[in-house]
Amino acid sequence: MMPPIVRLLAKRLGTSLIVLVGVSMLIFAIARIIPGDPARIALGPNATAEQITMLRERLHLDDSIAVQYGYFVRDLLRGDLGISLYTNRPVTADIAQFLPATLELIVVAGLMMILIGLPLGIISARYRGSWADNLIRLLTLLGVSAPSFVWAVILMLLFAFFLPLFPIAGRITDSYTIEPVTGFLFIDTLLAGNLSAFADAAWHIVLPAFALALSGIGQAARLTRSNMVETYDKPYIEMAQSYGFPEGKIAWRFAFRPSLIPSLTIIGLDFAAMLGNAFLVEAVFAWPGLSRYGVAVILRKDLNAIVGTVLIISAMFLIVNIVVDLLIAFINPRIRYSQRAT
Amino acid sequence: MLTPAMVAKASTQTLLRLDEVAVGELDPGKASDYADSILMFNVYDTLVLPVQGGPGYAPHLAESWEADGTDFIFKLRDDVNFQSGNPLTAEDVVFSFERMKELGQGLSFVFDKVESAEAIDEHTVRFNLTEAYSPFEASLVRLPIVDKKLVMENLGEGEGEMKDWGQAYLSGNSAGTGAYKVVSHNPQQETVMEKNRDYFLGVPEEAPDQVRLRYGLEAATVRTLIAQGEHDISSQWLPPEVLKSLAADGAQILTETGGGAFYIKMNTQKPPLDDVNCRLALAKAYDYAAGITMVAVTDDVAQGSPSTGGIPVGMFGAAEEMLQRDLEAAKQHLADCKYSPEDFTLELSWIGEVPIEERFALLMQANFAELGIKSEIRKVPWALFTEQVAKPENTPNISQIFANAVTGDPDTLLYPMYHSSVAGTWQSPEYLKDDKVDELLAKGRTVTDPAEREATYAELNDRLMEIAPTIYGYDRQSLFAASNRVKAPALSDPEKAFGLDGMGFSFRLMEMTGE
Amino acid sequence: MKRTLFILLRNPLSVLGLILVGTVVLSAVFADFIAPFPSHRGAVVDFANFNKAPEWPYIFGTDLVGRDLFSRILYAYRISLLLGVVVLAIAVPVGVTIGLVAGYVGGWIEYVLMRITDVFLSIPPLVLALSMMGLLEPTLTNGMLAVTVMWWPWYTRLVYNLTRSEKEEGYVLAAEVIGASRAHMIFREILPNCVPSILTKMTLDLGFVILIASSLSFLGLGVQPPTPDLGSMVADGAKYLPDSWWLTVFPGLAILVAVFGFNLLGDALRDVLGAEQ
Repeated sequence: MMPPIVRLLAKRLGTSLIVLVGVSMLIFAIARIIPGDPARIALGPNATAEQITMLRERLHLDDSIAVQYGYFVRDLLRGDLGISLYTNRPVTADIAQFLPATLELIVVAGLMMILIGLPLGIISARYRGSWADNLIRLLTLLGVSAPSFVWAVILMLLFAFFLPLFPIAGRITDSYTIEPVTGFLFIDTLLAGNLSAFADAAWHIVLPAFALALSGIGQAARLTRSNMVETYDKPYIEMAQSYGFPEGKIAWRFAFRPSLIPSLTIIGLDFAAMLGNAFLVEAVFAWPGLSRYGVAVILRKDLNAIVGTVLIISAMFLIVNIVVDLLIAFINPRIRYSQRAT
Repeated sequence: MLTPAMVAKASTQTLLRLDEVAVGELDPGKASDYADSILMFNVYDTLVLPVQGGPGYAPHLAESWEADGTDFIFKLRDDVNFQSGNPLTAEDVVFSFERMKELGQGLSFVFDKVESAEAIDEHTVRFNLTEAYSPFEASLVRLPIVDKKLVMENLGEGEGEMKDWGQAYLSGNSAGTGAYKVVSHNPQQETVMEKNRDYFLGVPEEAPDQVRLRYGLEAATVRTLIAQGEHDISSQWLPPEVLKSLAADGAQILTETGGGAFYIKMNTQKPPLDDVNCRLALAKAYDYAAGITMVAVTDDVAQGSPSTGGIPVGMFGAAEEMLQRDLEAAKQHLADCKYSPEDFTLELSWIGEVPIEERFALLMQANFAELGIKSEIRKVPWALFTEQVAKPENTPNISQIFANAVTGDPDTLLYPMYHSSVAGTWQSPEYLKDDKVDELLAKGRTVTDPAEREATYAELNDRLMEIAPTIYGYDRQSLFAASNRVKAPALSDPEKAFGLDGMGFSFRLMEMTGE
Repeated sequence: MKRTLFILLRNPLSVLGLILVGTVVLSAVFADFIAPFPSHRGAVVDFANFNKAPEWPYIFGTDLVGRDLFSRILYAYRISLLLGVVVLAIAVPVGVTIGLVAGYVGGWIEYVLMRITDVFLSIPPLVLALSMMGLLEPTLTNGMLAVTVMWWPWYTRLVYNLTRSEKEEGYVLAAEVIGASRAHMIFREILPNCVPSILTKMTLDLGFVILIASSLSFLGLGVQPPTPDLGSMVADGAKYLPDSWWLTVFPGLAILVAVFGFNLLGDALRDVLGAEQ
């Protein structure tokens, strides 16, 4: 590996770690200043005062916020996020069980975003001003103009209710019993060698992933288009054209490749935004993922679980951004060798 | 790799799919709500069972019993094994009782009057009560018997000899004698259960081989799944419109009357509802008939029937005359109230998980506005609600609650609501402090003669109407939409009904039709 | 100004944007006159006409207690726009000031300010607002607060980047050489050059604030009934799909129309003002 890349990676990781500590403090502070007694909520409607006092002690709820944060960091370093009051299990176990479903959804949505969004953007730029360009621009703008829950509901209404092409909820049909090895159904069904279960899981993910991807598709297409259009105005394209290079080659080699970098940045951001939007889509499609868990614990004021979930999501957000940065650095030597301070 | 033959074999297994709004708690010592009860009644057994289609209790795990002063002695069957293969003994009963008392969660309060339990011999148990308590037999339907040996082998971390009392283990595993055992339990998704072929009463061939209890499905999802043949029984929380569409599509409507009602509870400790006249004004202004219209599914089936007062029809002491709106009387009462409507705004809360309550909130807002009373509607998630009611000052002026007699006896319905010693739970956001009510409640649980109990509860009902801690919305009937692939006599034939919420979902009594 | 308007009106998509935004704003402002049933914005029940499919006079149908959906959507626009304006009115000045200071002053101030901004930016916006709303009482004010808290960092980021590139420009160096004060530099020299970008982003964001706020209320953490709110209308109506489709479809489309309008207009402004992304 080239040392500058390693240096860049080290720097990014360092900054991200500082940011992550900040995130943990922010979330922790928000979670602890709320009105309401988590111990009482945990013990349920018929708990006695003694039981509540005992649980408060066990959860260190009577200590100062700084001390509580200290306990939290100590436990966190041991990989212990506490017990979820909602499921009565360790938060880490909950996250481990529910995260794969969300990741699977986001990865598929991300692929849709790239595989549909970029080509649309390229076509739009290549045939700038044509009816195809205008149509794509209109459609992609529509895509970003509604929250993913509206798309989820509309897609569900059209393709699950009125035209029952797709299942309306869940990850897989009940009749398949798949041993959870990784928690990723796409991998587990293959490990089990069960192709029809794989197809069934794929069939289940189409609508939710598309609903989640729609605004990303729009963003990616719009951005690719505007960047390529800008590049098209550069003199070297005109030169290439006058040299008689084929249009397709010009589009790909000279117009698209340089515009990939800004598109990648936005795709990274959109990918991360999906972590948030998954909250909405999972609610509509009864997708048993981390976001649905997140909503459930937020509504129940389950502190450990809220802090754990938000922390994990933020960590993933940061990781995605680092990966995108590295990718860009890899593609663009100028950035690879001269990183700015921030 | 699944071969076609295996797939074919798998499909001959009958499958029952149902859903509940809340996540079911598998630990039987903590069971309290409907989903928990369904799990408990199928995975575990109790000493007695309610008689189907009538009053009283029949032997189940217990062969026979007798009262000995304030004590009760139970003789157990000697042919019962747990799902683990361990035989059922008196020790298990004692353990289950002590565990419930020690954890103090769920419905353990119904055993407040039981001092201790002891094993006399291998198949005889004695319960020592602190005083005469007539609903004791009824409360035994809330004492699921746990496999002591299995739990002791699986104690989790904790302090003391009993460590965690097996809480970690029982939250994900079954340790009962029941007709169904747990195969898997995912709190976000479903609990899967399978027939226990060694059940001591035997499980009929027609009963489902596998049951999936799904959690947290949206009403629209359930509606479509049933229509597409992917789901069998809905939860009772489907809005009436959805039930209506399902019935129109040919779904059957199952019913269960568990001695419960829809209650609009008023906080009697916070102005303006600390004045009885203001409460009476609201109780008279509320439009009872419109409420019934809202929960009607067809012309003759509704999720409720008109209320006659504080005690649901069919229980000891229920009144006969239907409650009705009387705006003139309401205005009179309001005029006598020491607060004037200009000076306050009522907080009307509704439980976020129960969408129909929002409509009742709007109905009340419109009804009370006719008296010139302003109000604010507040959606409260269930978890937050149970926390709010711990203090009278945080408890909303008005809360909406569906409650039922957990053991089928009026005592378990009314005592937790109105006795001054238990104020401040989700059942008692009224914070009622009334000596006469306390006295009648205490009397109701000690007298044993049915006629005397009838008279006591009738008097209690009159008192409740006089001091109006609650608006009695309607007597509740739970409705479930179901596919025609399943028959559930306990939920469709009054002669087979248990009169106890959730017990109608004993899967062993259901029949898969093979359609 | 005239030129700007001329360029705007030349592009049919921009005109569409203007029309949509105009319609939304006007219907919100004049809801009292346009709505066929103004009282239906509040707690009215009419069980004779509940859950009706679209038919005259209820062109969008009625909800489950018999209120006219069309009237409620008009009033919901009012709440949404109010929320959007208030959020931006707070988030933009805060975010812009921090971005200007961090970008111009530099040094450890820049490092601290930008790391704090990064902390807020590293929690997916919706997740941050959600956790805040979960912990606060769900009221309109708190909803605004939660959305504002997630919004300012984006302006900080934008203005910070602009400031850094402006700083290297000749006119800035020239002004510095003749001894202009820091405050003068930041607010009189650099800020005016950021205005087109900020303005464009604000137009786009007005749509996105509506979108995020509706997402919050979709999850039950927004404005409470009987106040009409597009997100909660979609959420409540979704339970009655597919039979009572109008309960979800019309409020959903209403969100789409408003956000689409602001996006078209924002796009047009960007082209005209030549603002940076």
